[in-house]
Amino acid sequence: MKITQQSTENTLILSLDGELDASSSVLLDTELTKPEVLNYQKVLINCQRLNYISSAGLGVFISHLQQFQDADVKLIFFNMQEKVHNVFEILGLDALMTIVPSEAEATAI
Amino acid sequence: MPFLQKLKPAILALTVLSWLALLISTLLHTDAAMATRFGVLPDWVTLAAQATFAVGVFMYQRERPHPLRGTDFVGLLRRLLLGPGLLAAAGLGLHLLERLLQPATAASNPAFFAVAYTINVGLFVVFVAYTTYTWRSLVFFRASPTIRSNWLWFELLLGGTLLLRLLNWPLPAPLAYGMVGALAVFGIYLSSNQKWVAYLNRRQKWEAGFLQLSLLLCLTVGATYFLRIAQDPLLVAPKPQAAFLLLMAGLAAFYALMALLVTLFNLPTAGIFEQKREEILSLQRLSQLIQKGQDEQEVYDMLFDAAVETVEADAAWLDVDGEGREPVLSKSLNLRTEDISAIRSLLADYNLGHIEYLNNDLPNSSGFRDLDLRLGSLIVMPLRSAKRQYGSLYMLKEQTQGFDRENLGILQTFTTQTVLSIENLHLMASSLQNERVQEELKIASSVQDSLIPKNLPIDDWFEIGSHAAAAKEVGGDFYDFLHLPGKRLAILIGDVSGKGITAAFHMAQMKGIFHALMQENPLAKDDREKFPVPSKFMSMANRALTHCLEKSSFITAALYIIDYEHGGFVFARAGHCHTLYYHSIKEEVSYFHTAGLGLGIIRNDSYEKHIKNQFYDYNPGDVMVIYTDGIVEARGADQEEYGEDRLKQMLERNYYLEANEIKQQILHDLNEFSAGQPMHDDQTLLVIKFKTAQPEILS
Repeated sequence: MKITQQSTENTLILSLDGELDASSSVLLDTELTKPEVLNYQKVLINCQRLNYISSAGLGVFISHLQQFQDADVKLIFFNMQEKVHNVFEILGLDALMTIVPSEAEATAI
Repeated sequence: MPFLQKLKPAILALTVLSWLALLISTLLHTDAAMATRFGVLPDWVTLAAQATFAVGVFMYQRERPHPLRGTDFVGLLRRLLLGPGLLAAAGLGLHLLERLLQPATAASNPAFFAVAYTINVGLFVVFVAYTTYTWRSLVFFRASPTIRSNWLWFELLLGGTLLLRLLNWPLPAPLAYGMVGALAVFGIYLSSNQKWVAYLNRRQKWEAGFLQLSLLLCLTVGATYFLRIAQDPLLVAPKPQAAFLLLMAGLAAFYALMALLVTLFNLPTAGIFEQKREEILSLQRLSQLIQKGQDEQEVYDMLFDAAVETVEADAAWLDVDGEGREPVLSKSLNLRTEDISAIRSLLADYNLGHIEYLNNDLPNSSGFRDLDLRLGSLIVMPLRSAKRQYGSLYMLKEQTQGFDRENLGILQTFTTQTVLSIENLHLMASSLQNERVQEELKIASSVQDSLIPKNLPIDDWFEIGSHAAAAKEVGGDFYDFLHLPGKRLAILIGDVSGKGITAAFHMAQMKGIFHALMQENPLAKDDREKFPVPSKFMSMANRALTHCLEKSSFITAALYIIDYEHGGFVFARAGHCHTLYYHSIKEEVSYFHTAGLGLGIIRNDSYEKHIKNQFYDYNPGDVMVIYTDGIVEARGADQEEYGEDRLKQMLERNYYLEANEIKQQILHDLNEFSAGQPMHDDQTLLVIKFKTAQPEILS
């Protein structure tokens, strides 16, 4: 799992590369726990190279969900692969989280 | 040489015979009376007898087994001295004394003289042969093959020289000197290759030196005897014989002297060898003791005692790194605690407390001078493994230049051994702990197993086949059944995120929630409200879980309430895998795609908005497959997932079978798909087949 980040004034883009499982989700959790993350208006997650997400990986997003809502930070996923999207959908997360097809749409929100 | 071995009795007989011949010829030569009666044998008979005897004795000694037993060098020398040595010295010495005290002119018994002389010659030759082959044993001790082959040349040269002398073949003077010189050089060379001396301790070296000196004295007695007897008017032996015996005595004395010198020169090294020996022995002792050490303290104590003894430290202490940052003093010798702290902080100032450090000139460093401890040398030896530091050992001596590199080496070996033992103890402790945990896991596993229903509900209206397997000892998957009044059956299936113990706890909790919520509500106004509908159940469960599920955990579940009186069911899916269904009327397999959020994701009342009920009227022959994600996410050889599509195809092919057979077919296909792959997640699979109505209801 490789996480690269890229930020503008009010947007933070995290690009996930590889499989987000129990061990690699710790990395992501560290990134999302950083206090400065809540200073952005939007946190975009680029899922183009995310091949797999385990329940532990989902747990990381779920555990930060409330915090993001409280701080009025929008969490937006884009470029999600079909099978990863399926996992979000089965769990019902698509109703809670913003998942859009492309980066353009993500930034437009 | 087996051939020579076989000849041994013959050699012995020949030797005895030749000695008798020698005796007779000497008697005839010396005793005039006998000579007149029997005549005089020619000189060559005497010389030939002498040569045969000498060769025989040497050959006999040569073929005897090596007299050295183990490393009992002193015993070997003692046997040589007390046996043939003393005998020869006594015989020769007594006769020499008799000859010296007796006036030359006085009348003497020539027969007695001849017999004594011949006996002495025999004793002396035997003694020299015995000495030579004892010496061979010593030279051969741990000797290289080169030395062994050189020995043969030495024997040939020695034998040749002696026999030439005896047979009185005139050699040109330079050649004769050359041969004797070569023998001397050979002797020095062989002496310099004696390794046995190094194996003696100081006391044994003194003893060996004394024994060698005594042997030298015996040989000197021999040399003196033959020197004196050669001029004795009574002796009418051939001159070459006397020269032969003298040369033999001379060479033997020379070699004995060389061996004595070797021993003497080795005396000063005895201390060093003994110290090394002591070091090796204490290392051996240490490693044996350490293995017996029951706890860390015992092992450290052994290390400390062994180290102090071996390097002969005047003062010492051992620090063991405790839990905190400060080292804990484990043991000390001849040092006050405040001195130790002072030295410790001094070393810490130079960052020397935890590295291998040797200082042989402490008074030269101002810090130590100020402490005024009258200590001259210091070794710091850390106890360290690849992973961590266990402490440090400090050895001190009063004199400067007190320690050497070898001390450092030996301490290093000690500490390595100690660290190994300590780590062994740790490993043993942790493996015990591990065993206990394993045992507890086994119990947990059996407890969890008891939570999974063993007796599946049986009724004529449906069949159920079930399968559950945990990836670890305990798992997070669960399913349960509950009969509700009015021919209704509640089926719960679910999956706690994560695996192992935490998941198992939540799974047990979920089972408790299921049974608690599925109680009849006595206040309900009508039958429908007596039991919560699935969506209501889910939001109640969500509320119940809010406070006990950690933030990043969630649970997916699906609750089905089958009303087999009315031939329908209602279910709610809380983030759980989609239900796979075979519709017998349409002859079609599909998934129920309903919305529904997992439990524990939203932890407030807004959850209700995210969960829906789905009603369906089933027909006989319909098949419902419910499962956890361990089934569809099982990986194949190329890391591909089993997937919903494969599962669907399996049902399309097998819907007509009985529930249990359908389950078997699916599992068979799944196992084939993921053969050789580790099981990543718990797997649960339930197959429910609805059957035709009972005849009695129809009637």
